[in-house]
Amino acid sequence: MARLYGEPVEVQTGEDGLPASFGWRRRRYAVRAVQEYWLVNRDWWRESNPVPARPELEYWRVEASAGQGRPAGIYELRRDVAAEVWTLRRVED
Amino acid sequence: MTLAAPAEAFTHLHVASSYSLRYGTATPRALAARAADLGMPALALTDRDGLYGAFKHVKACAEAGIKPLLGVDLPLLTADPTATIPRPGRVTLLAVGRQGWASLCRLVTAAHAVPTAAARAADDDVPAVTPELVAEHAAGLIVLLGPASDVGRAVAARRRDQARRRLDGWRSLGCEAVVEIVDHLEHRSTVNAVRLAELARDTGTAAVLANAVRYLDPADSPAAQVLDAARNLVPLGSPRLVAHNGRAYLAGPADMTRVAERVTAAMTGPGGRSADARGAARLLADTAELALRCTLDPAGDLGVGAHHLPETQGDVGEQQRALRARCEHAILAGRYRTAHPSARPGIGRPRAARNARDRLEHELAIIDATGMAPYFLTVADVADRVRAAGIRCAIRGSGAGSFVNHLLGISAIDPLEHDLLMERFLTPVRATLPDIDLDVESARRLDAYRIIFDAYGAERTACVSMMETYRARSAIRDVAAAMSLPPDEIGAIAKAFPHIRAKHITAALGELPELRRSRVNTEQLSTIFNIAEQLDGLPRHVAMHPCGVLLSDRTLLDRTAVQASAEGFPLSHLDKDDAEIAGVIKLDVLGVRMQSAMAHTLAEIERTTAERIDIDAMPRDDEPTYAMIGRSDTLGCFQIESPGQRELVKKMAPRDIADLIVDISLFRPGPVNSDMITPFLRARHGLAEPRYPDEKLRAALQETGGVVVFHEQVLRIIDVLTGCGLAEADLVRRHLSTPGGPERTAPWFRAKADIRGFDPETIERVWEVVSAFGGFGFCKAHAAAFAIPVYQSAWLKRHHPAAFYAGVLTHDPGMYPKRVIIGDARLSGVQVLPIDVNASSGEWRTEQAEQAEQTPAGDPGPDDRRPARWAIRLPGRRDDHRAAGRGAPPAIRCSLREVKGISDAEVERVVSGQPYASLRDFWDRARVSRPVVERLALIGAFDSLYPPAPPAPLAPSAPLAPPAPLAPSAPSAPSAPLATAPTRRDLLARVGVLARQAASARQGTSQALDLFVGADPADGMADLVPAGELRELDLAERVEAELEILGFDVSQHVIDFYADLLAGLDVVRSADLDRCRNGEMILVAGAKVATQTPAVRSGQRIIFASLDDAVGLVDLAFFESVQDRCAARLFGSWLLLVRGRVRRAGAGPMAVTVNATECWDIPALEEIRRGPGGLAAVQAALATGHDLQTGPQPAGTPDPAAPGNLITPADPDPERNRDRDNESARPLVFANGFALSPYAETGAPGGSLKTPPRTLWHASPGSTITPK
Repeated sequence: MARLYGEPVEVQTGEDGLPASFGWRRRRYAVRAVQEYWLVNRDWWRESNPVPARPELEYWRVEASAGQGRPAGIYELRRDVAAEVWTLRRVED
Repeated sequence: MTLAAPAEAFTHLHVASSYSLRYGTATPRALAARAADLGMPALALTDRDGLYGAFKHVKACAEAGIKPLLGVDLPLLTADPTATIPRPGRVTLLAVGRQGWASLCRLVTAAHAVPTAAARAADDDVPAVTPELVAEHAAGLIVLLGPASDVGRAVAARRRDQARRRLDGWRSLGCEAVVEIVDHLEHRSTVNAVRLAELARDTGTAAVLANAVRYLDPADSPAAQVLDAARNLVPLGSPRLVAHNGRAYLAGPADMTRVAERVTAAMTGPGGRSADARGAARLLADTAELALRCTLDPAGDLGVGAHHLPETQGDVGEQQRALRARCEHAILAGRYRTAHPSARPGIGRPRAARNARDRLEHELAIIDATGMAPYFLTVADVADRVRAAGIRCAIRGSGAGSFVNHLLGISAIDPLEHDLLMERFLTPVRATLPDIDLDVESARRLDAYRIIFDAYGAERTACVSMMETYRARSAIRDVAAAMSLPPDEIGAIAKAFPHIRAKHITAALGELPELRRSRVNTEQLSTIFNIAEQLDGLPRHVAMHPCGVLLSDRTLLDRTAVQASAEGFPLSHLDKDDAEIAGVIKLDVLGVRMQSAMAHTLAEIERTTAERIDIDAMPRDDEPTYAMIGRSDTLGCFQIESPGQRELVKKMAPRDIADLIVDISLFRPGPVNSDMITPFLRARHGLAEPRYPDEKLRAALQETGGVVVFHEQVLRIIDVLTGCGLAEADLVRRHLSTPGGPERTAPWFRAKADIRGFDPETIERVWEVVSAFGGFGFCKAHAAAFAIPVYQSAWLKRHHPAAFYAGVLTHDPGMYPKRVIIGDARLSGVQVLPIDVNASSGEWRTEQAEQAEQTPAGDPGPDDRRPARWAIRLPGRRDDHRAAGRGAPPAIRCSLREVKGISDAEVERVVSGQPYASLRDFWDRARVSRPVVERLALIGAFDSLYPPAPPAPLAPSAPLAPPAPLAPSAPSAPSAPLATAPTRRDLLARVGVLARQAASARQGTSQALDLFVGADPADGMADLVPAGELRELDLAERVEAELEILGFDVSQHVIDFYADLLAGLDVVRSADLDRCRNGEMILVAGAKVATQTPAVRSGQRIIFASLDDAVGLVDLAFFESVQDRCAARLFGSWLLLVRGRVRRAGAGPMAVTVNATECWDIPALEEIRRGPGGLAAVQAALATGHDLQTGPQPAGTPDPAAPGNLITPADPDPERNRDRDNESARPLVFANGFALSPYAETGAPGGSLKTPPRTLWHASPGSTITPK
């Protein structure tokens, strides 16, 4: 069962640049594994601002849980490279 | 196989350049340079759909110091009936060695011959291959099967069984298949890459790593995204487009190693996870190994550096003997111009013959040394065949400097007559292939092509291709369409720009007055402009080069791919530069409209007088012709009709062909800007002594009064000073025009000249001239080749004006709208007859006029009431024409083809059905579409069947008022005399009746037709629409209909509708300009017929414009200082009133131009005049027009703080100019101080001037008399 959110999240990345944990709805989720990673340009043509030099959005499909013993879920995080903004896109559990 | 492949040895095997049309964004040169920067040893180019970029890649790699690989990326049609994936995908082929290159060429040719659904749908040439087709050309080809291939698609669809079957299929067909691993980090692309790698491993197939490159840097991906949208004709965001993420860039070795590690690390099964580091190394090593195998040797594999000449006339020795025999025979038979005394004044016959023989020996030695005899024989054969088909054919370019070309009959120019040099054309010290260019009649160019193809066969011949590239307008159109702007707005934005390069868009917005103030200069459009600039120069469409034909031996199709052109000719993927690199001879067969115009002229003369003129053989010394040129009465003539040329010929007054050669050479940006013209004219008119840097140079420079005009003179100067010989001197001349060339040449030049005893001062003086000359000046042979049609066209105009105008109007060779030529014909005493369904044909024809023409429409009668200067009549300016044209028919009949919307088939039916007895007869037999019949009625094409009453006089209250069609204040003439003849409006109504009858006849109710069986055909309609029922068109309505339907005014000159206004303002007529004082401030007026922005000395953009005021042309110059207030109106209006200062210039005969200070739209002024304030209000408006703050400026006053105004075009601070960023379209500054405005030589904004604008003078309500 997948749910769509699109809510801003705060993400901490490790030294390798991968997301290590993220805070969402007053909870901290630890990333256990990265399942998938991909990139897509944003819809820059719909924006009135000039096109940023890096119009990519990073997508991370990660396995994460809100603490030891808590069940792990699949979370899809998105990072706007130009704006440095993270969003939680969808959750599968 | 080594497992420890060094990472930096990575070679990209799958790369699309900008020659992947509307797909790749990087030029081959940029890609090769980047690959070299990244330390790569080699680079492949595998463009999509063609080999257009192949030789550019080879050249770029050589310049970058890396090795080239070549391949192609083609769409796949799968023959697999069980295929469940809708899109069959694409496959990449790489060539191994010479055999591989030949296979690649033949496969691409075959792929373009495969009819695909996409091609049929898109009306485009889309190639496609099946595995079977690839297998037919498998020798030397590697088949790369990547994620886009049929195998990769099956893998992505998780159909491993199918993927395996397809892979086996490729191998069982005999293809060498290699799996191509690509991971662009798209959604699921990594996992798909892993599965593909596993498949390769499990099937024992070699695998290589690639990046399917389509741009240089990740930041280029928005531009590539726009190209996807443009190519697929859908807006951005469409689900039909693939996602982009910037990863298809030319990644460096470290990045590619990371991709290899990412993919191999995720592999499972035997050899998987446990061995990821070794797996990555192996993948990279296999990639390097395949790259090494596919590296091509330009000379050995691609034939670069060799010449592949037609072998149709025997081996080289035989061909050399044949060439000599033909030339010697021509000399014996006296078939060269200097054999005739008139072409060699002061030289006796024996001496001329000796000169001819010496020159022949000299040239044959050069031809033998270069092995070019087959080329000369081939071109001679082509020229013979073309002429045998009755097609006019003339040489152009440096080939006119060859006496052999003259003896072979290729060239009508004897180089001995004009002192032309063979060395400028061909020398043994230059390895490049010579160019012989043939000019043929434009209307028969394709006939000439067919003759060549028939003679040499499809295996030896193909047309040269060329790329249409993105420029400002096309780039803006495609980007704006991708971003979903409405089509009307896209057109308006694009047309606001002149025809400039796309990369100058932003600079132009800031620098050109007409843009700075326009509404396109807004923030909202900046993204569009930014991306449009990134598309600058990218190829967008492959087209047939206008003249290039490849002629080679029978291996041509092993060296180039061909596809069918839109015209049905085989089109090579080589462009003209590639042909040179590939060593394939190129013959330029250029269609020249003037040749067609002259052919038509000669045919008309022969048709009407039975006189057959051999215009190529006649003497070229006719005094009346030169007198006409000297009066600058040159409209319609080849090359000398432009405003600048009319000024130059007037100042120069040419007396012979040599003068015309100088004239053509001087009228070039180089000479104009180095100010060579003034000293030349002063010397010519005896106002200054010619000066020579050294007495030894007198012989070289005498013909041009000491001024260096010709390339040939530079050759001689260098030869005289250094003694290096002419062949070497030509090399030096070419070297001088390269960047840094003069600096490198100077020490050699000084040393050589010093040895030969020239004093240092002379050496410096000469060096200054030689180095400043650089790439300027002109090839004299080329000018001589041009001078012949200049003279011929002028001679025809002078002696056979009616036939000449018929030729010019039929083939439209010049720069002016036809209405200017028609006006010129009238001024020359040639009557212009309107279209008549019983007399007109598909071409303009000469006719015997039945009566003297009434006063030309432009000339008010002698009894005119207006005393103003506007009313001045021409004092028989061209009486000599009439005398000269004795016996020639003095009238021309307008061609049916001028009617808007008429088809070729309709023209043919009309002509074959002539004569017609009535409108009904015409309707029944000519079967012309209804709108065209209505247009014919409106322009009076049926007047001979229904002779009209004289045109309705205009109401006395509004003499020659602007058109107010259907206005009750302009009543028509009394209807009584019209009772017997239907008016044009009656005819229009009758056309309607006929159309309805035809419609009901088709439905089987033919009742209406029966009524007229047996009735008098001329009269059959009278009962339904009685003659005189509807009011006749008045003069203004007629002119409006003519402009709308024909594009030119026949009944009356359009400017004469404003006669009251112009007379009231004391406007000066063009014919009267001669009488104005230098510096006098005057008003002139007319219809705009030309605007030009040629290169001028200062690097300014000067706009030159010409107005047609019914008695001639006024030539105007708008300097940058006035463009701010004038440019928008100048480009936006058609009928202009201009205030300016008279400038009389020139040493010797004066030429008069007007330096404009202000301009107005005439219809707008007329509006004011007809208002309550009358003429006084107009004068008041003109007076305030000076003042920018209060003047009626349509675009508002400029805001000095607006960003666009910060950089003014005439920036006085040179430092600031230098500091501008790279994007600025700064003037190009040459070594001699000549600066070229980047906006020079670009077409003006707005539509073409060749046809009048659709919204003309007055958008009068209810004036829609013309059927749409």
